Amino acid sequence: MQQLGYTLDIYRRLINVQVRSQLQYRASFLLDVMATMLTLSMFFVSLALVFQRFGTLAGWTLGQVAFLWGMVEIAFGVMDMIFSGFDPAAFGQRVRRGTFDQLLLRPLNITVQVLGDEFLLRRLGRIAQGVVIFALALSLADIQWTLGKLVYLPCVLIGLVCFFGALFIAGATLTFWTIESIEAINILTYGGTEMMAYPMHIYPDWLRRFFTYLVPASFLNYYPALYFLDKPDPFGFSPVLRFVAPLVGIGLLAAALAFWRFGITHYQSTGS
Amino acid sequence: MRLFWELTKRAFQRQLTYRAAMLAGLITNIFFGILRAAVLVALYGARREVVGMSVQDAVTYTALSQATIAYLSIFGWYDLMNSVNSGEVASDLLKPLNYLHFWLAQDLGRALVAFCLRGVTVMLFYALFFDLTVPQGVGQWAALTVALILSWFLSFGWRFLVNLAAFWTPNARGIGRLAFGLAWVLSGFFLPLRFFPGWFIMLCNFTPFPSMVNTIIEIYLGLLTGSALWQALAVQLLWAIALLVASQVVLRAGVRHLVVQGG
Repeated sequence: MQQLGYTLDIYRRLINVQVRSQLQYRASFLLDVMATMLTLSMFFVSLALVFQRFGTLAGWTLGQVAFLWGMVEIAFGVMDMIFSGFDPAAFGQRVRRGTFDQLLLRPLNITVQVLGDEFLLRRLGRIAQGVVIFALALSLADIQWTLGKLVYLPCVLIGLVCFFGALFIAGATLTFWTIESIEAINILTYGGTEMMAYPMHIYPDWLRRFFTYLVPASFLNYYPALYFLDKPDPFGFSPVLRFVAPLVGIGLLAAALAFWRFGITHYQSTGS
Repeated sequence: MRLFWELTKRAFQRQLTYRAAMLAGLITNIFFGILRAAVLVALYGARREVVGMSVQDAVTYTALSQATIAYLSIFGWYDLMNSVNSGEVASDLLKPLNYLHFWLAQDLGRALVAFCLRGVTVMLFYALFFDLTVPQGVGQWAALTVALILSWFLSFGWRFLVNLAAFWTPNARGIGRLAFGLAWVLSGFFLPLRFFPGWFIMLCNFTPFPSMVNTIIEIYLGLLTGSALWQALAVQLLWAIALLVASQVVLRAGVRHLVVQGG
């Protein structure tokens, strides 16, 4: 217990250093956040403008799509802020260069070190943009709120953050063995984010099945959304599956961390 | 002149060595293309045609927009500003070739490889699994070729100009991200410009961005014919010239102002 307290304290300090140093260049930081918000929100604005011509997207209104889109943006932004140390692209570079080794030499939990190494406050831009889109969703889509839904909403968000975090961690672990895996992981994270921003039933069967049975992305955003938006399931699954999001997310994160532990134990440096 | 082509050849060969990365990029392009196609098809619903574009045209559009990503470095090009940050720019400016031509030559090499390995390949892959619209007649193919070349000049001009910010500020990367992000949305890369409300299209036409991607796509799909086609090509040419001239002017000012970084 004391070990856990100590570890968390170290993490908190590492984050603190990150945040303070990033806020040093306040102007640069604000510019970055604004730029991110602007460029990312332009995609949603584009969709909204084009939506005027079409009215619905496979039976979903703009507000309902915004619900999906907002959730994914917020979750990915939060994940990217916290787990940036595990970003496979950057992490892979560190492994290649051998700079990862020095972290292993320190008498600190390696996972906490990697987490504390990169805490990107500027991801707030993405998060803020996601919040705006989600707020729009709440005002446009006529959601019948219940106590259950209010309680479940943060659970879904946590599930999503854990899911994306799991992808990052698994991707980073893979770079111990191969640098080529980065692109595949990018497809799952950035491609997955894009994919999950729209209702899953628009995709070709093979794609949908892959992201339901192999990488259970469907259960993290789409199925919970069916619950919030009181929509029927076009695939006729049990309604219970709308509530598994946090379990799936946390389960995947646990699996990814186990994989990470395995990778660390068997890690052989590139040599110096 | 020979130096120019030498640089192009070198850049071409250099880009070819990134084959593995290009293959990975190709797979990413295809994946995103499929997602975008699904979204457009879902939007169409029961409609057969929207503002002159059939469902098949819309699917072809997604293939085309993905195919232009590598060719036009749509997601950003930071080589020049990186060379300023590393100090390499000092020796680059001393080279016996106009600085803009220096980068133009290299970008041509890169663009040619990108066009073949991540442009044409995307289209071919799509053609295997989807029914794609194909340009009809020599005239359309000729116009497409011209549009593709002009598009590259335009894109280079914009990217070069944006990168020149590095001559003034260390925050050039942030400016670059914003500038390139702007280009994505206004160029018709994300969704066909035709689908947007009239006032938005009008706003976009005040910028060079539609001429980068949207024009190519509309010529390919045969949506621009006759005088509209000539007009579109003329607009591309004018923007290309404007951006390249602006680049030279800003470059001159930038060199005077340059603060060289790096050890």
